Amino acid sequence: MSCEVKEKGRVGTINPIFTCQPAGAQFVSIGIKDCIGIVHGGQGCVMFVRLIFSQHYKESFELASSSLHEDGAVFGACGRVEEAVDVLLARYPHVKVIPIITTCSTEIIGDDVDGVIRKLKDELLAEKYPDREVHLIAMHTPSFVGSMISGYDVAVRDVVKHFAKRTTPSEKINLLTGWVNPGDVKELKHLLKEMDIQANVLFEIESFDSPVMPDGSAVSHGNTTIEDLIDTGNAQATFALNRYEGTKAAEYLEKKFKIPAVIGPTPIGIRNTDTFLQNLRKVTGKPIPESLSRERGVAIDALTDLTHMFLADKRVAIYGAADLVIGLAEFCLDLEMKPVLLLLGDDNSKYVDDARIKAIQENVDFDMEIITNADFWELENRIKNEGLELDLILGHSKGRFISIDYNIPMLRVGFPTYDRAGLYRYPTVGYGGAIWLAEQMANLLFADMEHKKNKEWLLNVW
Amino acid sequence: MPLHEFECSKVIPERKQHAVIKGKGETLADALPQGYLNTIPGSISERGCAYCGAKHVIGTPMKDVIHISHGPVGCTYDTWQTKRYISDNDNFQLKYTYATDVKEKHIVFGAEKLLKQNILEAFKAFPQIKRMTIYQTCATALIGDDINAIAAEVMEELPEVDIFVCNSPGFAGPSQSGGHHKINIAWINQKVGTVEPEITSDYVMNYVGEYNIQGDQEVMTDYFKRMGIQVLSTFTGNGSYDGLRAMHKAQLNVLECARSAEYIANELRVRYDIPRLDIDGFGFKPLADSLRKIGMFFGIEDRAKAIIDEEIARWQPELDWYKERLMGKKVCLWPGGSKLWHWAHCIEEEMGLRVVSVYTKFGHQGDMEKGIARVQEGTLAIDDPNELEGLEALEMLKPDIIFTGKRPGEVAKKVRVPYLNAHAYHNGPYKGFEGWVRFARDIYNAIYSPIHQLSGVDITKDDAPVWNTGFSTSRMLSDSVLSDEVRNSTTLRQYSGGFDSVTKLREREYPTFERKAS
Repeated sequence: MSCEVKEKGRVGTINPIFTCQPAGAQFVSIGIKDCIGIVHGGQGCVMFVRLIFSQHYKESFELASSSLHEDGAVFGACGRVEEAVDVLLARYPHVKVIPIITTCSTEIIGDDVDGVIRKLKDELLAEKYPDREVHLIAMHTPSFVGSMISGYDVAVRDVVKHFAKRTTPSEKINLLTGWVNPGDVKELKHLLKEMDIQANVLFEIESFDSPVMPDGSAVSHGNTTIEDLIDTGNAQATFALNRYEGTKAAEYLEKKFKIPAVIGPTPIGIRNTDTFLQNLRKVTGKPIPESLSRERGVAIDALTDLTHMFLADKRVAIYGAADLVIGLAEFCLDLEMKPVLLLLGDDNSKYVDDARIKAIQENVDFDMEIITNADFWELENRIKNEGLELDLILGHSKGRFISIDYNIPMLRVGFPTYDRAGLYRYPTVGYGGAIWLAEQMANLLFADMEHKKNKEWLLNVW
Repeated sequence: MPLHEFECSKVIPERKQHAVIKGKGETLADALPQGYLNTIPGSISERGCAYCGAKHVIGTPMKDVIHISHGPVGCTYDTWQTKRYISDNDNFQLKYTYATDVKEKHIVFGAEKLLKQNILEAFKAFPQIKRMTIYQTCATALIGDDINAIAAEVMEELPEVDIFVCNSPGFAGPSQSGGHHKINIAWINQKVGTVEPEITSDYVMNYVGEYNIQGDQEVMTDYFKRMGIQVLSTFTGNGSYDGLRAMHKAQLNVLECARSAEYIANELRVRYDIPRLDIDGFGFKPLADSLRKIGMFFGIEDRAKAIIDEEIARWQPELDWYKERLMGKKVCLWPGGSKLWHWAHCIEEEMGLRVVSVYTKFGHQGDMEKGIARVQEGTLAIDDPNELEGLEALEMLKPDIIFTGKRPGEVAKKVRVPYLNAHAYHNGPYKGFEGWVRFARDIYNAIYSPIHQLSGVDITKDDAPVWNTGFSTSRMLSDSVLSDEVRNSTTLRQYSGGFDSVTKLREREYPTFERKAS
């Protein structure tokens, strides 16, 4: 019985699990109110990221491009950034925040984005927009480093670094949610409300799930304000729920303003939610109320109906962002399931030393593999050529054909989940998320039993 | 000049040259906007890049190929599973994509060795596949990797494999169109003429500029096969790599999307004397004319006529059912490139719609020329539209429906304009006679959706409508203004095909025609 952590053996990628850093920075950009990011690079770096956001949320988000063309690639394209900032400010009067997000091309040609920003402040902003509040933020996210996950981490830090100020220290906390869904933010805010805790939420993306209104006025955008961002410097503590998606910002605030950083755990499952609430109590001194105990009880009730009867010993493969994958694996273990294969989609060298992974390695009583820098072929090849047997897959929609071709039920979870309706609306975190995850997994297994006529009569009485 | 200046674009005066309203009695010379120029940074244009134009639009619909992008992982991921170019080999090219995964150390020290390892790994993982395309990206273009040299090296070591290289980095041109051009030329330079095909018919053609979106190519080749024509290759939807190496042996190049693939058709004419025949698979009349022209070229007009008669008899009553109900509905025809002129006139003539605006993201002036020639006076034409201009146009024109891409479709949803996907379709295919009826059906379903009726209601208002029934149907909404004669017609009928109109074609048996004595 062992759990091995190893890097993918091949150098190349067959069916990638992640996209690259600028996508993470763009996700941060759309979470901020009155903000439109400019991606400094080829147009595809924006067009496709906007497309994938629209696939996942069924909504459109605004992001601009510096539209790097051949001349810029040869002679340098700083002028394109200057023009882009001017055009954007002139046509979008509400815009106050403009992240300048670099890509592989503009990092390689060595465009000095920080220098351009200084120049723009001295010239364009001072001369043409003297009475307007404008924040230009450089985000260096070359595509050949890390992944969309590290790009998110870098961008959250850059935003916080730009805005955070110590004015009047408050009782508030900073809540860095990591790359989650509107349903998660809603659940997290609910937990905080029950605990009577105020927070600067990075990022307020509940509003991504926007309505169609009779007057056609609704648009989807994030709602974290400049005031929230400035106020991160006043908080009594920072909770970065996902270790790899916000820690850089939390550490910055700790170092700069001595605001204690609480890193993790990703509050997936009962146990991790318990820890999150206990951490909140420890830091704020506020009690965990009876109402949450009751919610917890409802979740325990739901899970008890499912675990040893249906979920026990089910073999699961999980892929995607490390914090999500680890959180799901921990929850699966609590549900008596066997997460036999975890695929982490980039080469972050910190994964092997992650305490959660170490704990799994020390305690699992079945054979398990954890692959870093993984691609989908690591999963498919094991199923197709190495006899890996699975009852369930957990991961995002890009892996859909593995589920379809090998007839293994798959719960869409993470980003993106474009081949199922409305999943962004539901939480995976908190007690509510625990119920949603367990019941979705169970219902998928039930449908699979019926589809394959595999003891489908079991459900006649339940 | 009937130039149209958008309020939102007054601060970028050069945009004024990119939009026109076709005026009374004006010729094309008056009404042609600028096109295919560099994009204005920060304008939130909808354009993509030259890498995606080469790899995603033209390269990857090729079905029996390992498609590797040489660069960081994002270009590959982002262009994977975002289109609907299916194939008859279980969609291999949709399911598998490959990235060399270039990292910082490769940027510094070069990524050629990495590329070679990747090629060998990919062939090892898929031993049944012996063909490969490699796409350059911004990163590997800038560091100057010699991809062609690595490909040649591998082909020497593994004689059974064949590799095509496309050098079209994302920054190579104002839009995806630059990539279309580059891959066209690269293919004819590197691959055409390297395989000698078996000729099985007296009539041999290539089908060019067709990407098998939701099965378009299979619908069209069904007609060609029924005419006894051998389709040597399709460039590139559902096309095979080796078929496309044999393009030089066709007697005719039948060209569908002239925007993305006229380059190779023109080169085949210059280099191999193969004539180019532009056709159109959308619309009963354009399609019938197209089949007739192909028949005329080969001297088998009778075979074309038989198919046209059979198909029109089968599908006209269904198309007309929708035409009666779509009469006068206003359309913003906002596709990517060539569909603005493929569709403009025939959705007006055959479906009764009224095109109030056309736009093109990556089209050239030639596309606008054809498009504007085919629309009515008063139509707004926009080149390289941006987000705010699109919204301003929707506000001004108040269309009943918009045909555009997935993401702009979400923008339209918010201002309560029903949308159909012009690139990937809703429930296509849209080519062919049956496909055209499917298109009309989708338009009808979108415009007369009971949900669309509900979306405009402000329930907080005292004068909000009171519903007499707990439901509405599309028919209740569409038929109230029709004459009894139309409403009760016994000849007109709704679409009667199934959910999947394509898969069955793969099992179809075709007539054999006697070969002429050689």
